[in-house]
Amino acid sequence: MNDRNANPAQARGTPDSTQETVIETDSLTRKFKKIKAVDNLDLRISHNELFGLVGPDGAGKTTLLRLLAGLLKITSGSAHVAGHDLTERPEAVKPKIGYMAQQFSLYAQLTVMENLNFFADLYAVTLEERKERTERLLSFAGLTPYTERRAEHLSGGMKKKLALACTLIHDPPILLLDEPTTGVDPVSRREFWSILTDLHVRGRTIVVSTPYMDEADRCTRVGLMYEGRMIRCAPPDEIRSQVRGELIELIAEHWQAARAAVGELPGVLQVQTYGTTLHLIVDNAAERLPEVEAHLEEERIAYSRLRPTQLRMEEAFLSLVDQREQERWE
Amino acid sequence: MSLRNIRAITRKEIQYILRTRSTFILVLLAPLALLFIMAYALTVDIESVPIAILDQDGSEASREFTAQLTDPTELDLYATVASREDLEQMLLDGSIKAGVIVEEGFEQAVAQQMGMPVHIIIDGTEPQTGHFAIDEITTQILDFTADQLAQAGLPTHLLEPVDLRVEALYNPDLEPRIDIVPGLISIVLGMPALSVALALSHEREHGTLEQLLVTPVTKAELLTGKMIPYILVGLINVVVIPAVAIWAFDIPFRGNFVLFFLLSVIFLFAILGMGTIIGVLARTQPVALALSFLVIFFPGFFLTGIFFPLVSMPEIIRAEAELLPGTQYAIITRGIFLKGLGLEILWPQAAILAALGLAFTVVAALIFKKRLG
Repeated sequence: MNDRNANPAQARGTPDSTQETVIETDSLTRKFKKIKAVDNLDLRISHNELFGLVGPDGAGKTTLLRLLAGLLKITSGSAHVAGHDLTERPEAVKPKIGYMAQQFSLYAQLTVMENLNFFADLYAVTLEERKERTERLLSFAGLTPYTERRAEHLSGGMKKKLALACTLIHDPPILLLDEPTTGVDPVSRREFWSILTDLHVRGRTIVVSTPYMDEADRCTRVGLMYEGRMIRCAPPDEIRSQVRGELIELIAEHWQAARAAVGELPGVLQVQTYGTTLHLIVDNAAERLPEVEAHLEEERIAYSRLRPTQLRMEEAFLSLVDQREQERWE
Repeated sequence: MSLRNIRAITRKEIQYILRTRSTFILVLLAPLALLFIMAYALTVDIESVPIAILDQDGSEASREFTAQLTDPTELDLYATVASREDLEQMLLDGSIKAGVIVEEGFEQAVAQQMGMPVHIIIDGTEPQTGHFAIDEITTQILDFTADQLAQAGLPTHLLEPVDLRVEALYNPDLEPRIDIVPGLISIVLGMPALSVALALSHEREHGTLEQLLVTPVTKAELLTGKMIPYILVGLINVVVIPAVAIWAFDIPFRGNFVLFFLLSVIFLFAILGMGTIIGVLARTQPVALALSFLVIFFPGFFLTGIFFPLVSMPEIIRAEAELLPGTQYAIITRGIFLKGLGLEILWPQAAILAALGLAFTVVAALIFKKRLG
């Protein structure tokens, strides 16, 4: 593995090359008919990273995770997971990974306990280990009172947590999670992330795809996928700083009037609306803030808040995708 | 092959069967229902045929003849008509299935012991009923002729120069039920094969296969574990179905039940192999259902010799028919039920079934990839 680190092209996007690489792809490509769902993707993920995979629908996140889980055949290029070549020895990788599909993929007719035991059997978890682990997984998933309940009768959030518990039954060092919190209420979503954080602290390597930018913000590193390629791969702070412009937050009662008033001002690149809150992306916040303030006074538009603020992942993501689309058209 | 993995999959599948009502009905009750429906629908004898008579002779002899014609219950006199048009109208609207025209000169012909002019018209869209009517009418004509000869003091044995004695072994009354019901067992035991095809495509459709494929379970363990529960439910049917055939349909069982059971296991293995191939190929349950009907049930009906004898098939079709598990098993069921055959005669069938089962399972394992695509 170490000789691969010497190759600078492949080291791209690796924050700390002294850490052991556990996932590594070289020009990984997967075609469906003529569409390249994953296109010449180079990626290195080190031990104990919490890697967030973001990107618009159809960017190739699910395909990438399925390739890494050995579920899809690689069209060209290569991928190594846990030190094994996925093309040559896909089965050697299986015990090392825990994979959680986007759709619910447990047995609806089996109870919580039966599902856990079923996967424990298939992963050859010994009886002592099984007892201890099942108890722990059930308790942190909050499923201890529901062991005899059939999976089909669980709520959406509980199903996701059961799926995660089944994924963890063999205590895999690497976790591949495909949008584990999609369709889950905010409370369950928070609980789910506290579980992930806990696993991260315990030294697991986690690759998680998510449509939620606040979740991406909690990762140690974020990969932004677009049309099968990884267009950015960096820690969240760095991604945000790569975006042109700064953010001014404006809350006004008559936000429509405010929007019309500030939209045409010089230096305002974009105005995004979130309820009555306006996000003004400007070229220089310190310079533009007084100008905006003066203009609002002039127009007699009352506002309750006007302040420079941090760009969130959401704006950064939208801005990067916009930028990419513009580049494509030019 | 890890026994623990096979057992885990098998146990999971049994729980699935027991807890999913539609599957439970499909594997345990459907075969029984199918046997009853098919056995009753397909073995009902024609009891009587409505006919009309046109008597153009209008003589004493013709009246005597027509009276005798409808005397037995097999031919049911619907109407006596005055013209051929009326008779054809009745055939057209379906109120009669056959018409008898006694032509002019009938009495004269009887008197002169010459060929009596009798004309039969049948509905060609229902050939079976037509044939039945022709047979009955011919029998009556023969009886009538014999009576006439006897009255004239002539020897009647001339009517039948050969004293033909037909003896039907194993099914003396040539009842269709006796031979069809044992044959039908091969079709109703196709239900477990349909179920395994549906169960595999169900896993693919519901994403559970995706989760199975990321575990270290091997293809062989997965397919074996998946087939075992359906072989087990098939075995329940192997006991229940013959019992029903014997008690409800009064089918004789002259062979050895242990042999029947063992050969049925081999048949289940072969037919489930077909079901497994379908389950591996079909991405969704509707596709699995359609394929099962195309590959298992339709050929099961038409090519296995249960209803249509193999000898009536063109050479190519016959070669294909011989390779269907149902064809071999129909020979076994009839052989053991009706003839009491043993392995010394049925071993080729057993060998073919075992070879087919092995071939199907190997093919299923080869085309099954431990991947989604």
